[in-house]
This record gives sequence, structure tokens and C-alpha cells, in this order.
Amino acid sequence: MMKLSALKYFLLFLAQVAVWNYFNFSQYIFLVFLPALILCLPLEYGPIRTMIIAFLTGLAADFLVTGQLGMAAFALVPVALMRRSVVRLVFGSELYARGEELSFHRQGWQKFLFCLVILTSVYLVLHLWLDGAGMYSLGFNALKFGISLLVSSAVSMAIAYLMLEQTGERWR
Amino acid sequence: MPRGQKTSSFFVCAATFILLEVAALALLHATSTLQNIWITRMSHRTMAFLWGSGETVRSQFQLDRLNRDLQAENARLQERLRAYERSGADQAELDRMAAREADSYRYTPATVVKMSRNRTRNYIILNKGSEDGIRPQSGIISDRGVVGIVEAVDKHYSYGLTLMNPEMSVGARLGRTDVVAPLSWDGRGTGHAVVRNLPPHYAVEPGDTVRTSGYSTIFPAGVPIGVTGGSRLVDGSTRQVEVTLFQDFSTLRYVTVVENLERTEILSLEKKMEGE
Repeated sequence: MMKLSALKYFLLFLAQVAVWNYFNFSQYIFLVFLPALILCLPLEYGPIRTMIIAFLTGLAADFLVTGQLGMAAFALVPVALMRRSVVRLVFGSELYARGEELSFHRQGWQKFLFCLVILTSVYLVLHLWLDGAGMYSLGFNALKFGISLLVSSAVSMAIAYLMLEQTGERWR
Repeated sequence: MPRGQKTSSFFVCAATFILLEVAALALLHATSTLQNIWITRMSHRTMAFLWGSGETVRSQFQLDRLNRDLQAENARLQERLRAYERSGADQAELDRMAAREADSYRYTPATVVKMSRNRTRNYIILNKGSEDGIRPQSGIISDRGVVGIVEAVDKHYSYGLTLMNPEMSVGARLGRTDVVAPLSWDGRGTGHAVVRNLPPHYAVEPGDTVRTSGYSTIFPAGVPIGVTGGSRLVDGSTRQVEVTLFQDFSTLRYVTVVENLERTEILSLEKKMEGE
């Protein structure tokens, strides 16, 4: 089970790298679903472990995509830090109290979407701000953020579904 | 979880977060030129803001003293004005000279944001930059005399060398003798400088006022610098005079940047004549 999740995580990470490397949809679209991968890590992982995984994931993505080491890592670590608080806020503390895992079927897609929108927003704000290096106008950044958030959240829903598919089966 | 353990876990978590973010920024700083420039610029702006804020807070506690200084300066200026009025000099001539002086130089008030005093090469950072009309190679003066020279300017800040810098030299005119020679920092204390290369036959008395000569294209003539102290012969061929500076660098906060508007014209004429 754990191995399968790790394999899925790795394959979806490669998918993200492929998207960044080979699919340039528009200058207004930055498609990211790494926050969804971080969200779907087992809840038993504490913030420090999650942050380290996020940092290494971001670093590997940077290495395989742009070569600008640190960009994705910088944006992904706060996502990992906020994950527990956002999960508590959206799904309630019972998950942690009962030692349950996230489940698409039990918690419902609306809550997942809300959760993913928050985490993707955090990632996008940091990534776009750092990537722009003060060169783009606020209007351009806001438009890019809005469109990217829409697209990324939709794709992240599918990614989260894929990641948590078996967990959902278990609780059905 | 016990309260103490919760607190320590919070601190460990915060420290890990800061560590990872700093590591990410450091990596980015090292691998990306664009982000490197941007991060450096952000860091400079933040530091300038912090220094500026610190200075603002500090100045709030010095308002009393600054008021006293301003009153004293006001009194000195009024005294000079009365002296001019009493002198009976030709008013038209004075007006013409004043107008000429005003046309040649532009004065911009500025506040000291940061200044070093205990290095071998001391510098000063002012809160005015190119957007305020400050240009490199402008003089920095205060009501007590010469402070330094603007070396480089950014949009909102300018960087200058103070008189306490061995790379800076000012053309000085010594009181009664009226002889002109270069003045530079003695490299030892904060309030002392030396005038070098004076012809040995000039007898310089202690207590004479030292002012700018006006021969350079940076400072106007007659800006006070300090008073002469002891003098001695160097190698039997030149005289060296010690000068106690008027400017107390430890209390300096407000300055005036003075730009010679005819500097370019003078320099181009100089270049042209050297070419011929």
C-alpha cells in the first residue's frame, strides 16, 4: 500500500516535470499540481517530514526542469507547512483524532477542491512572485495567477483522486 | 501533548521551515542570474529601509539637540547677514556675486541614512538619489563644513566618501596666508586632518581657519573645514599642517549636497586645452 502510494507519487511527480518541460500552453497559464501531491501525503507525516519531502521534491523538479534550483522548493515548503492547518480547517480535527487518512469519497470533492485551491494559491503566489523577479506588472501577475489557479485546481482534483483512489475504496 | 513539548515542537518546525526557505533562496541566488540580481536588490532595499527607520527613531530622541543646532546656525546666519548689511559694500556687486554663485551651484538637503566612522575607508549613505537630482562627484557639506563627496548614486540613495577616507582630498585655503594646498584625513582620529605639500617658507599660525579653495569643480569656495594646529617640516622641503575639523562626524545627521552645475563645462574645457 505504502509502496504503491510512493510509486504513484513518483510517477505523478514525473508527470509534473513532463508538463513543465514539454507543454507550454500560454504565458498566462502555469499548470502546477505539486501541492496536490503534498496534500495527499499520509496524514501521519508531521510538518517537518512533509516540509523535507516538499523541499526535495521541489529541488528535484527544479533540477529536471529549469536548472534554477530553489524556485519550486521555495514555493512548496510553505505548502507543506500549511498542510496540517488547512486539513484541520477544511476537514476538521477528527481525521487526526481518529488516525484516518484523506479520502475523496468520504470527505467529498467540494472540500477537496477548497483545500486544493488554498494550497495551490499559496504555491502560485510564491512561485509567480519569485519567478517574475519584479519584472512583470501586478495586472499581468494577477491575471496569470487567476487563470493558473483555475486550471491547476481542476487538474489537481484529478491528481488527488488518482493519489487517494485506493484509500477511497477502503472506506466505501 | 504536554505544553512544553508542544512549544519546542513549534520552534523546531519554525526553524526547519526557515532553514529550508533560506536554503532554497541561497540555491536560487547561486544558480539564476535574474533572481540573483532581484534578491540582492530586495536585500539592499530592505537594509536601507531598516537603517532609515532606525535613524528616524534615533532622530526623534535627538530633536532637542537638533533644534538647538538649528537655532545656533540661524543666529550665525543672522549675524553674517547683519555684517553684510553693515559692511557698506556695493550692494549691486554683492547681488551679482550672489546670483552668480546661486546659478553655479545647486543645493539639495539630505539626511544621513548610514555612515561609518571607524574604518580605514569611511563612507556615508544619504537618502537622496538620482531621482532627486543628485549626481556623482557632488560635494557633501553641513552647516559645520565639508563632509565628503558623492561617489555613486542609486534611484533613492547616494553613496559618498567622507573626509575620513584616505582616498579623498580637498583643496584647502589657509586663513591668513591664503595659501592653497591639498587637505586629507590623517588616518588616525575622527576629528583631524592634515594639509600637505605647503611651501616651507609659509609660517602657519595655529588657530587659522581652513576653508575650501574653490579651485576644484566640486566644492564652492569658502566652505569651512577646520582650524590649523601645529605644523612641521617634512624632509626639509615641504610643510605639513595639522587641522582640527569643525565637523563632528559622530553627531552628523543632516547634510546638503552641492552640485557644481558648470562642472561639465569646466572639465570639457580642461580636456580640450590638454588635447591641444
